[in-house]
Amino acid sequence: MSGAIVELGDVRDQARVEDAADVVIIGTGAAGATAARVLTEAGLDVVMFEEGAHVRQEQLRSDMWSSFKHVWRDLGFQVASGRAFTPVLQGRCVGGTTTINGAIIHRMPEKIWARWRDEFGLGGALPYPELERIWDVLDRELFVGPAPESVLGKNNSLMRTATERLGIAGNLIRRNVSGCEGSAHCNQGCPTGRRQSMNVSYVPRSVAAGARVYATCPARSLITRRGRAAGVVGQFRDPLTGARGPEVVVHARRAVLLAASAIQTPLFLAKNRIGVGAGVLGKRLQAHPGTAVVGVFDAPVEMYRGATQGYESVHYWDERMKFETVAMPPELAMARLPGLGPELMRELAQYAHLAVWGVQVRAEAHGSVRAGLFGGTHIAYDMTDADIRVLKLGVRRLTEMMFAAGARQVLPGVHGLPHAISSVDELSPLFDAPDDPRLFHTIAAHLFGTALMGGSAFNSVVGPRFETHDLPGLFVIDSSVFPTNMGVNPQHSICALAWLAAERLV
Amino acid sequence: MSWWSFERRWLAVIWQTLLPSGTPGGLALGARDVPMDRFLDELLACAPRRVTLGARLCVWLLTFCPLFVIGRPRTFPALAEEERRAVLAKLGQSDVYLVRELPTLFKMLGALGFAGLPAVQAEMGLAVRDSSAPDWAGEPKP
Ligand SMILES: Cc1cc2nc3c(=O)[nH]c(=O)nc-3n(C[C@H](O)[C@H](O)[C@H](O)COP(=O)(O)OP(=O)(O)OC[C@H]3O[C@@H](n4cnc5c(N)ncnc54)[C@H](O)[C@@H]3O)c2cc1C
Ligand code: SF4
Repeated sequence: MSGAIVELGDVRDQARVEDAADVVIIGTGAAGATAARVLTEAGLDVVMFEEGAHVRQEQLRSDMWSSFKHVWRDLGFQVASGRAFTPVLQGRCVGGTTTINGAIIHRMPEKIWARWRDEFGLGGALPYPELERIWDVLDRELFVGPAPESVLGKNNSLMRTATERLGIAGNLIRRNVSGCEGSAHCNQGCPTGRRQSMNVSYVPRSVAAGARVYATCPARSLITRRGRAAGVVGQFRDPLTGARGPEVVVHARRAVLLAASAIQTPLFLAKNRIGVGAGVLGKRLQAHPGTAVVGVFDAPVEMYRGATQGYESVHYWDERMKFETVAMPPELAMARLPGLGPELMRELAQYAHLAVWGVQVRAEAHGSVRAGLFGGTHIAYDMTDADIRVLKLGVRRLTEMMFAAGARQVLPGVHGLPHAISSVDELSPLFDAPDDPRLFHTIAAHLFGTALMGGSAFNSVVGPRFETHDLPGLFVIDSSVFPTNMGVNPQHSICALAWLAAERLV
Repeated sequence: MSWWSFERRWLAVIWQTLLPSGTPGGLALGARDVPMDRFLDELLACAPRRVTLGARLCVWLLTFCPLFVIGRPRTFPALAEEERRAVLAKLGQSDVYLVRELPTLFKMLGALGFAGLPAVQAEMGLAVRDSSAPDWAGEPKP
């Protein structure tokens, strides 16, 4: 069968769309697209459902609002509530969150894998050598390599200077890009298609191998036959206006794979009454909450030139923190800058002199996800006091790094501290303040654990082969199944686990 | 859902206070010089209902808070610019989280419109990739 990406505009006049495939996949992000790549190239017929639109390169603009509107979930307004509000950032389009991500590639740390083996009994199900074999293939196919000097830009090279001066480990970030031009637009969607996000890599590759993608078409329910998952029902829906189109019914001859992300996967399962018995569905939400520190330099930094994220330090990984550069677009910088009125306008005028680096915390906190009122999503998340102490230390270390790199001032972005500081000592009051998330503005972009993998239906949602305990033929293959967070960026691990799950279906 | 014209004016004053025009040593453009009213239309058309409802509630709160914040029995738009700035600054320093998030909310919403405009980005020193304004901005005001 010939592959295609079908959207609402293509089928508006039809009453109903019917299709059948060996495997039906819900979600076209890191997990779903990778599984489609494996299955189609093994000769299986695949259909994918995607709630968001298929955004073409020429439609991408450089302003954040246009990107929020067409590519991000909830226009970037999805938040978790706890003591503080934490934006929970996700993509919603063909390619999922990989379409807006920073292209940072990491393999799951062996220490994390050992924990999964020892505490969760998953060593046999997810052998590390198998994962390494898959990462090698992913590296090749997605052009993974260290950020080249030619696109480093100053925001990234300044962090290198800082690590060298302070004697801490740092490295060029390994990224999945081919011919990156260093336009620092990764979060708006790469305008030149150089980042090998799923919308330019595994989705088109799977379509070329025959996959049909129903985009702007959220999956709604499952078809079951003789106690097995046997298909998916969705309905076309304009992501912006909500206008509805025809219903889509796709029969699955072999399996249904759920890859809708650690937020939407548990919602889909709960709506279909699958996996609710163990009491863990939608619970145990883990994340890597992070915050940014801004440095002001005398010389221009021009963070809009260079790889969006090109340098990092995992020196303090054992202390649950990781540092990375991030070229913050002007809209987000303006929201983050401390001033109001003329002070803000002066800060904006020195945008070209700002460097922005972030700390992400391997937080121990567990949150939850459930359906909210009026069809919304309710996400609860609150960092623990210990997590906050890690964040405080991370902000202090980033501040030291900024000064070591030559910053004239640092804008720590912490409630109760001066807007701008000229020495690390001025951070001291932070350590006398209560361990309270409301001191910071944090975001969460890496999400895990809401449909746990385990050996028993009493304490997990899926078994070691990714199949749900409740419904044979239904597999969960995204980071919902991860028993813990990892302390490094997750895309490569998500792809590897999805690859493994797909291979086992062939 | 459309807003009353007085609510739109209140929000315009908030954005103009946060983003004044012609700041010495700062940007020359301010909220008054760009079509923030059209950005509000865009927000109302596209943003989730809870966001626009929340923003509307916050506009009311800010409009009627000056008495409690700086002891002036006036609405926020009726204050002099210096006083409006003092209100925002005081709210921003509050020990109550929800209160100090008020100015941040308006700054964040305003930023999505204002700082996304090529003319503003050019003033910020960016090498602007899109020379045309986003759809919502249409033709720039004369
Ligand atoms: C700003 C940002 C930067 C990031 N940077 C990095 C980075 O540099 N490196 C890294 O490793 N990770 C990064 N991440 C995280 C990484 O991109 C995600 O962890 C990863 O993409 C998650 O993969 P996924 O397949 O689980 O979900 P997603 O990639 O989010 O894909 C899920 C897809 O399913 C769709 N969907 C949901 N519900 C339905 C439904 N009912 N029917 C049909 N479709 C549905 C969604 O619209 C979405 O497209 C970043 C994340 C963000 C937000
Ligand atoms: S830095 Fe620019 S060119 Fe490079 S991958 Fe990101 S958006 Fe694409």
